[in-house]
Amino acid sequence: MSEKPERPARAVKLNVINEPKDSYTGGKSSLCPGCGHDQISNVIISAAWESGIEPHRIAKMSGIGCSSKTPAYYLGKSHGFNTVHGRMPSVTTGAYAVNKDLLYIGVSGDGDSASIGIGQLIHAIRRNMDMVYIIENNGVYGLTKGQYSATADIGSKKKKGPINKTQPIDLCALAINLGCTFVARSFSGSKKQLNALIKAAMSHKGFALIDVISPCVTFNNNDESMKSYGYVKENEITLHMTDYIPHFNPITEVEVPEGHFRDITLHDGSTIRLETISEEHDPSNAVAALTALHNAEENAKHVTGLLYFDNTKASLAEDLGLVEKPLIDVADEELRPSKNILDEINSAFMG
Amino acid sequence: MNQHVQRVYAERKEHRGGIHTNLPLGEKYMETIANDFTINIATANGTGSQSANLILLQSIFDMGVPASGKNLFPSNISGLPTWYIVRLSDMGYQAPGDRTHIQVLVNPATWDDDLAALEPGSVVIWNENAKKEMNRDDVISYPIPMSALARKINPKIAKLVTNIIYVGAIAEVLGIDQKVLEASVAKQFKGKETAIELNITALGLGRDYFKDTFEKKDPYTIEARQRDTKQFFIDGNEAVALGSHFGGVQMLAWYPITPSSSIAEGIIAWTPKLRTDDEGSSNCSVIQAEDELAAAGMVLGAGWAGGRGMTATSGPGISLMQEFIGLGYFAEIPSVFWDVTRVGPSTGLPTRTQQSDIAMLYEGSHGDTQHIVLIPGTVEECFEFGWRIFDYAERYQTPVFGMSDLDLGMNRWACEGFEYPSEPMDRGKVVRDQKTFDAFEDFGRYLDVDGDGIPYRTLPGSGMAPILYRGTGHNTKGEYSEKPEDYLALMTRLKNKIEGARDNLPAPLLKEEKECEIGIVYLGSMENTIQEIDDILEETGLKVSQCRIRALPAHSEIEKFIERHENTIILEINRDGQLYGILRKELPNHLVSRVHSVAYSDGMPPRARIYAERILAKLEEVNQ
Repeated sequence: MSEKPERPARAVKLNVINEPKDSYTGGKSSLCPGCGHDQISNVIISAAWESGIEPHRIAKMSGIGCSSKTPAYYLGKSHGFNTVHGRMPSVTTGAYAVNKDLLYIGVSGDGDSASIGIGQLIHAIRRNMDMVYIIENNGVYGLTKGQYSATADIGSKKKKGPINKTQPIDLCALAINLGCTFVARSFSGSKKQLNALIKAAMSHKGFALIDVISPCVTFNNNDESMKSYGYVKENEITLHMTDYIPHFNPITEVEVPEGHFRDITLHDGSTIRLETISEEHDPSNAVAALTALHNAEENAKHVTGLLYFDNTKASLAEDLGLVEKPLIDVADEELRPSKNILDEINSAFMG
Repeated sequence: MNQHVQRVYAERKEHRGGIHTNLPLGEKYMETIANDFTINIATANGTGSQSANLILLQSIFDMGVPASGKNLFPSNISGLPTWYIVRLSDMGYQAPGDRTHIQVLVNPATWDDDLAALEPGSVVIWNENAKKEMNRDDVISYPIPMSALARKINPKIAKLVTNIIYVGAIAEVLGIDQKVLEASVAKQFKGKETAIELNITALGLGRDYFKDTFEKKDPYTIEARQRDTKQFFIDGNEAVALGSHFGGVQMLAWYPITPSSSIAEGIIAWTPKLRTDDEGSSNCSVIQAEDELAAAGMVLGAGWAGGRGMTATSGPGISLMQEFIGLGYFAEIPSVFWDVTRVGPSTGLPTRTQQSDIAMLYEGSHGDTQHIVLIPGTVEECFEFGWRIFDYAERYQTPVFGMSDLDLGMNRWACEGFEYPSEPMDRGKVVRDQKTFDAFEDFGRYLDVDGDGIPYRTLPGSGMAPILYRGTGHNTKGEYSEKPEDYLALMTRLKNKIEGARDNLPAPLLKEEKECEIGIVYLGSMENTIQEIDDILEETGLKVSQCRIRALPAHSEIEKFIERHENTIILEINRDGQLYGILRKELPNHLVSRVHSVAYSDGMPPRARIYAERILAKLEEVNQ
């Protein structure tokens, strides 16, 4: 895979490492036609291709649920692991401990992350595990046919069943309170914003959580649902316009806006540019981020954009104090201490 | 049984005069009883008695006398009763004996019960300052003002020092050499000069008090033997920890649980010396997980990525890990799980020993599964299986369990030294370069190329044959499939794969009598009691052969052993006969009626006479 393919004669658009977009696609989706998750898969494909990441250096991780099936539909040249319900963070952590050089992209759902797997999500955040963690959030369990999940909004009503009266868990607020170093919310219908956020998350060193409202067309897309296409389109508060400026191509692609904007430099030298729409949002201010979330919730709105960002914390790899190269590349002879050392140990014990 | 004990055993078997279970009583004893008695020390948890007891054990050991120490401790940090049982036995018997010969009473809380349980003629060394009475006149009583003597040294730490006072008194009663004692103190408090000095003073006080006050009225004494200078004391958990490092463990994920925590803590403690370079960077990562589910997930993640991942836990942890264990089996992920078993079910008796996870490990998780289980019975094997387990996990691409128990894992046992791995690491069927990959005519992650049920794998990041690993049904390419033929082929291959491991796993250790009358198949820490059981049985005229099973699925030698014997007892430390259940299911029909279960557990380390009596009762039942 190390050799780059030659430029084909046909004018197929190639990315910065000379790969066509086809190198980033996956199998055919078996989700319901119109599912928000398929839109997110497409954005993942575009973001990875445009960022010029070698597909085989990506690891696709997921738990169980509609969302967690999607790694089969993108990045067909990447290894992946569709694990068990809610426990993708721990599997990713173990893989990362022995191979920290892969780009881990996890996809989860609201059942997977806000209920059964909330503990693992919390602890992965706490360790600042270096990964992109996308939640495809639709407020219902799809594969088991439409039960409410723990992110269903108060007053929301799915296609069948009563109005939800239980307090939802806002995973972005949770993550900010836990000191998550990259917290964003987006909408599967906002391709441009989501694309920039996913690219920025891939450039971030640390735990990057993106909660994407992704309507379930089968069980929760009726007008009374607060996670339907119609409702989110009407009630989305966009914090800022987002643009991603890759480190390998800093000049083109993005025009300097006329109004206020804020540039945030990411770990790999890329930039995410946040253009102010009405009020300026400071993503380094956790209180401001939480205020935005609470205000939105109070008014039954959804606030999207880069809510919180912190590039000062060490990621898990640094905390583990490991050698430079990934552990899987350390030779067997280095992993096993020598016979002399064992002789020494035996002698010391014999006293 | 280790070599030293074996040798002693062989020497003594020639001219032994039976086992002392009922000793002559009274002041005028006719004989001296050397190196064949049990000391029981009753203290309270958290009072520092453990270091005092280890000094005593080390001293006996350094005098060349085979001895074992068992810590019976509560699930508590401070205050609840704890007992330390030291068995001295020239025969090499390591189980706690059938009775206590010398009782040390320090803890008022258990005083009355401990005293009442003693047989007439027992020796009682008791703390005169404990505000308890000596209400028995049929024992040999040595009251010592332990607390008062301790206060003389330092009133602030009198409680701690009290323990050393009784060690001094015992040393005088039994004739333990003062120099040996002092060397043990130095070993226990490595380099801490003040502590060493204080403890030696306290030993002297206890010793002198006894010498000045009493005339020795009991028969018990320690006779120095030729010490095997190669031997040392170590607990099974530290041996597993060291073995894991020599197996090149790359990721340890763990959640604290008794009695397994010291495996993880041992790995952590040895990492700076064994796995860290000059810059202070290590090639072994350690993550304390949020729970056992996460620990299991991390182990699978490491195995999936091509690393050697492990966890150490106990029964409750394994219960939580079950879903991942099934995923590891079905998606074929190398992964290592150590289970240091304790008494269940539920929280059970968390600080007591049992062999009751055998069935759960062998057939862990929902659906049809079968797992490789390695079962060490000595500290040397704890080390050896500690490194070998990774080779098995990677060779068979599956979860592999190490099954130790509290008795083996947390008590110290005599060790002959650890042997360096005899072969290089076996990393299994991993395709690491494009050339090898291109040589495959057809590549599928789950394709049985060699006919041994073990497929080839490529690693994430390699770019070769990427697949989405899954716990759902899959075909030989790893693609989702619910087709009956795909599912059946997969399950059949998995069965063949593990079946193929049988005779590549550690073979059973046999000690056979030519008569082939009674066979005993046993496992794990029962190793420390089996010879005493055997001797008790042979005193009744039976000829007993031993077969220690060291891995599941059971080696074919076990079936042959059973075939050769008229009757075989499956002996285990649990209620239901879990190993018996497994063997019954797998043995051919004509052998099933010749195997019989003797399973017993009361939470205590196995005492030989209890098991011997149950074996005799079972044989009687069989012969009716």
